[in-house]
Amino acid sequence: MTGAKPLSSLSRTLFALLAAVLLALIILALSAISAPSGRQAGFFEMASHFFITPFSNPYFFGNLLADSVPLMIAGLGILIAFNSRNFNLGGEGQIYSGALAAVVVVLAIQEHASPVAVWILGACAGLATGAVLGGLAGILKAVWRISEMISSFLLSAIAIAVTDFLVAGPLQDPNSNFQTTREIAPRLLLPGILQPSKLDVSLFAAILLIAAAGFAGKRSRIGFELRICGENEEFARYCGIRVPAYQAGAMAVSGAMHGLAGALLVIGLQGRLIRGFSGGLGWSAITVALLAQNSEAGIIPAALFIAFLKSGSDQIMIGSGLPSEIAALLQAAIMLVITMQTIPLVRRMKNKPAGAVQKRGSP
Amino acid sequence: MSTVSSFFTFIPEIVRYALAAAGPLLFASVGGLFPELGGMLNIALEGLIGLGAFFGMAAAGASGSLAGGALTAMAAGMASALLLGMIVLRFRAHLFVAGLAINLAAGGITAILSQAWFGTKAVVPFKIPPVPAAFPPFLRDIPLLGPMLFSHSIITVSAWLWVLLSAIVIERSRFGLRLRATGMNATAVDALGVRADRYQMTALALSGIGCGLAGYALGVSISAYVPNIASGRGWIALVAIYLGRRRAGWVAAACLVFALAESFSNYLQGFLSIPPLLVLALPYAVTLVSLIAGGLRTSAEGM
Repeated sequence: MTGAKPLSSLSRTLFALLAAVLLALIILALSAISAPSGRQAGFFEMASHFFITPFSNPYFFGNLLADSVPLMIAGLGILIAFNSRNFNLGGEGQIYSGALAAVVVVLAIQEHASPVAVWILGACAGLATGAVLGGLAGILKAVWRISEMISSFLLSAIAIAVTDFLVAGPLQDPNSNFQTTREIAPRLLLPGILQPSKLDVSLFAAILLIAAAGFAGKRSRIGFELRICGENEEFARYCGIRVPAYQAGAMAVSGAMHGLAGALLVIGLQGRLIRGFSGGLGWSAITVALLAQNSEAGIIPAALFIAFLKSGSDQIMIGSGLPSEIAALLQAAIMLVITMQTIPLVRRMKNKPAGAVQKRGSP
Repeated sequence: MSTVSSFFTFIPEIVRYALAAAGPLLFASVGGLFPELGGMLNIALEGLIGLGAFFGMAAAGASGSLAGGALTAMAAGMASALLLGMIVLRFRAHLFVAGLAINLAAGGITAILSQAWFGTKAVVPFKIPPVPAAFPPFLRDIPLLGPMLFSHSIITVSAWLWVLLSAIVIERSRFGLRLRATGMNATAVDALGVRADRYQMTALALSGIGCGLAGYALGVSISAYVPNIASGRGWIALVAIYLGRRRAGWVAAACLVFALAESFSNYLQGFLSIPPLLVLALPYAVTLVSLIAGGLRTSAEGM
C-alpha cells in the first residue's frame, strides 16, 4: 500500500530471535530483582542456567535434540499446510491421538512382533490417525468452505478429550499410580543415542523426512501444483489443477505428520502414553514453521531453537523456581514479530502512512 | 417412569443453568463480533478470556470489590486486544498468527504471574463478595418463570444487556455503520476520509472488553482462577460469530444453543453416567456439528 519495502524474511527471522532472547533476559532480570534476597538465584546464575546449561553436557544436549524431533516433524506438517494456504490449528490433538493409536497398536502386537514391524506399524497407526483428523478438516474446507482453522481445532479438542478418557480409563495401566497406558516392551523401542538422554534414532528419521519433503516440494509435480494452489487458487483452477483435492490432501498430510510425531515419541524411549504429555507441542510446531519462513531446510534450525528455549526454560524451573511456561511466552514473542512487514518508525521516515488497513483473508 | 417425570421437572433447572452458562459466551462472542464486522476476525478470544479471568479475579481478590475486578478484567482484555491491533495494523503482522501469539502469551503470562503472586500455577481461590441478584425477591418467587428467568445474578443479566447494547450500536449508530462499511471495503472507507484502522482498533478494543468480562464471569462463578479457565469458550464463541452471520441477535442465539447443549449434557450425565472425561468432548462436538450444519446452509444458498 505504501512505497516502503516490506522487511525481508531474513530480517524478520532475526528480529524474532532477538525478541525471544531479549524477552528471556527481561524476565530473568525481573525475577532476579523481585525475588526476596537469598531465596532465589541471581540474574547471572539464572542466565547461565538458561543459555549455557542445555549445552553443558551430553545428557542435557541429547534431551534438547530429542525435544527438537517432534518439533521438526510436526513443524514440517504445519509448513505443508501453509504451502497450500491452510492453517492447521489441530496439531495438539493430532499429535496426542497419533501417539495413542501407536501405543494401542504396538501393545496389541508386541507379543509376537519384531522391533522393525513394531516401528513400522506404530508409525503407520500415528500417520493414519493424524491423517484422518487433518483430512476431515481439509475435506470440510474443500467441499463446504468451512474454515479449516476452527474445524481442525475443534476436531483436535474432541480427540484430546477422547484420548484423555481412554488413557485414564480403559487403557490405564492398572499397576501405575500415574494416568498412563501400559509400557511397550523395552526391546521393541527405537534404539537410543547419547544415553542416558531421551534421544533416539527418530532424529535421523526426522531429518530424512525433511529432506524428502524439501525435494518433493521443489522438484515434484505435486509439490509444484500444491504451491500454485497456495499462491493463487483461481490461477490454479484455470491451470486445471484439482484445488479441492490439494486442499484436503495437504491438511491430511499435515495431520499425518503430527500423528507421526506423536507415534515416534511413544515408540521412542518414552515407551508409553502419559496423559497430557504433548501439551503445547502443537503450538510450538506452528512457531517452528513460521520461523522456518516457508523453507523445509529452515525447519531444522528453527526446531533446534525452539527446543533450546524449552530446555532453557526447564533449566530455569529447576534452578530458580520460575515456571517453565516462560517457554510459551518466548514463543509468543517470536510469533508476534515473525510476520511483521514493517517497523513504523522506519517507514515513517521514508514514506507517509496511508492508513494501514488489514484485509481479511485466509492465511 | 419416575426418571421421565423428574426429567421434566428439571427442565426449568436446565434452562436456568443454560442462561447462566451463556453469559461468558455472550460477552466473548458479541464482543468478538465487532472486529469481525470490521473485517478482522479476532482469533485471540480464548487468550483474552484467560487474561480477563486472571487479572479480574486477582484485582477482585485484592480489592474486595466486584466492580474493581470487572474494571480490571475489561482493562486487561482491552490492553491485550489493542496490542494485537497495533501489531497487525501498524506493524502489518499476520492477523491470525498474531492472534495465536496472544493466546500463547496469555497462557504463559498467567502461569508466571500466578506463580509469582500466589505461589502456585494451579487453582487460586479468591475471597470475593457475593454477586448480588439482579431481580427483587417477588419476581424470583413467581412459580416456574421465577427460577428460570429472575433468579440470575447481575453478571448474567449484564451479559444480555451487553448483547442488546451491542446490537443497537451495530445496527443503529454511526460507528456501527462505518465499522460494517470498513469490513466490506476498507480501502473505499479510507478513500472517503474515514480512518478505517481507527474503527478496527476500536472494534478490537470492544472484543477485548467483552472477553475480559467473559473471563471475569467465569472466575466469579467459581470464586477462583484455574489455568485454562476458558476451556475452549473462545473458540466456541468464534463459531457462534460465524453462525450468527454478522447479527448480534443471531450470535446470541447461537450462544444460547451451545449453552443449552452444555446444560443438557451436564444434566444427562446424572442419568446416563457418561464418563466425565468424555463429557468434556461434548461442547466441542456440538460446536463442530453446528459449524458443519452452518457451512452446509451457506453453501446451499451460495450455489
